[in-house]
Amino acid sequence: MNIAEIIFLLIKSWTLIGALVALVFLTVGIDRIDEDAQGAYAFRPLLIPACLLIWPLIIWRWFVLETGRDQWPKRHKPPRESHFWVAIAFAVAIPVIMLLGFSQKQEWPADFKPQKISSEQEQSQ
Amino acid sequence: MSVKYIPVQWNSNKWKYNAVMLSAVFAYLWIFIELTPDIMQNEGRINSQVHNARAFGSCAFFMLTVILCIGPLARLDERFLPLLYNRRHFGVIAAAIGVTHAFYIINWYFAFSKSNKYEALLFANTSYGQLAGFPFEIFGVFSLTCMLLLAVTSHDFWLKFLTPRIWKNVHYLIYAAYISVVAHVSFGILQDQQDNRLTIAIIISALAVAVLHVLAAFKERKTGDVAAKTLDNNLVRVCDVSEMIDGYAKVIKLENGERVAVYLQKDKLSAISNACAHQNGPLGEGKIIDCLVTCPWHGFQYNVKDGSSPAPFTEKVPTYNLHLDGDTVFVDPKANPPGTYVEPVAINP
Repeated sequence: MNIAEIIFLLIKSWTLIGALVALVFLTVGIDRIDEDAQGAYAFRPLLIPACLLIWPLIIWRWFVLETGRDQWPKRHKPPRESHFWVAIAFAVAIPVIMLLGFSQKQEWPADFKPQKISSEQEQSQ
Repeated sequence: MSVKYIPVQWNSNKWKYNAVMLSAVFAYLWIFIELTPDIMQNEGRINSQVHNARAFGSCAFFMLTVILCIGPLARLDERFLPLLYNRRHFGVIAAAIGVTHAFYIINWYFAFSKSNKYEALLFANTSYGQLAGFPFEIFGVFSLTCMLLLAVTSHDFWLKFLTPRIWKNVHYLIYAAYISVVAHVSFGILQDQQDNRLTIAIIISALAVAVLHVLAAFKERKTGDVAAKTLDNNLVRVCDVSEMIDGYAKVIKLENGERVAVYLQKDKLSAISNACAHQNGPLGEGKIIDCLVTCPWHGFQYNVKDGSSPAPFTEKVPTYNLHLDGDTVFVDPKANPPGTYVEPVAINP
């Protein structure tokens, strides 16, 4: 089994567990932790793809809400502290990456004529 | 803003927003595919499969560019705020366009061998140790994965379930996705590009995103992001009443990083959290009409006396206690639980 096959096996396993989490969460859990979801079913299929991808986060948040550990002040404190430096780092990274890319670009000479660089193949008798 | 969740919340503004966005997408693809078939043509002719892949790929790049420009533009000039309103639909469509690009690529470049075409995408080029000929496909895979993650977590349920703070931290991945897509383009198609028109358009787009983010960051820093000190009486000075405008708020940042919006309405003062319960939009930038302040991002409304949305809606934000000493307004930095009624403080008792 090569590395690519292993990666795809891990992806398949991850999404399979996600499908099981989706089955339980969207049929049982969601009604227990969000009153706005009670009696609302049409939107639930839209949540399946996220369950496949972020199921560990879903299990953790479900546990936090079920056990009453949710801290309401955190809901009203947006992550703005790092905005400035994230924006600066982001703005610097863009031209740096483009320059790196262009530094690798190989220009083909306009007057280049094809040349045979390998030796003549052996002629069969 | 709903009592019970529904698949997609529509209103006339969202229909108009999506109609304009989708018209622009179709126009771009039509122009690229039908009207200017040579725009990404290299010395060797390319077939329609590759041409379509490049049309959808470049479309996704420009869509992501516009999405990333909307945020800083709205911070620099509030006239751009309407563009922010339905940005999530924009992101979902951009992800769909990106997926289409990926399928065109995989079904052409990796589909004609005995290997699984998705596995072939990973092992066809493994020159990860050098810049020249770096497997740029992996940048595209990462960007598309991020865009899909953001798209599938875009429903309002996820905002409430994960909390705006976690949701926003997850959605910071948009920056990583864009940097990765710039790398995907720089080490990919631009290495082989003979026609400079698209190259220039891509460079200008990416630099515009960078410059706008720097300008918005410096503006935000300049306009007071410094926390106010808590005084000996455990209160925080907000401002003098004479500095306030009826119907609008003064926003103050507390030492713990929370922001409080203090409103003056008909000679009475009220204070609520500056962070909307929906996406933590800046409530302090909204105007009060009939005791209700409207979030400038998505239109959620709250009564400034109790921080609650009008029935039948259920969103709530914390409230704060105010004190008036002469003309000076002070706020108690200890927030009341969301939805707690606080009697407004009269400025002319």
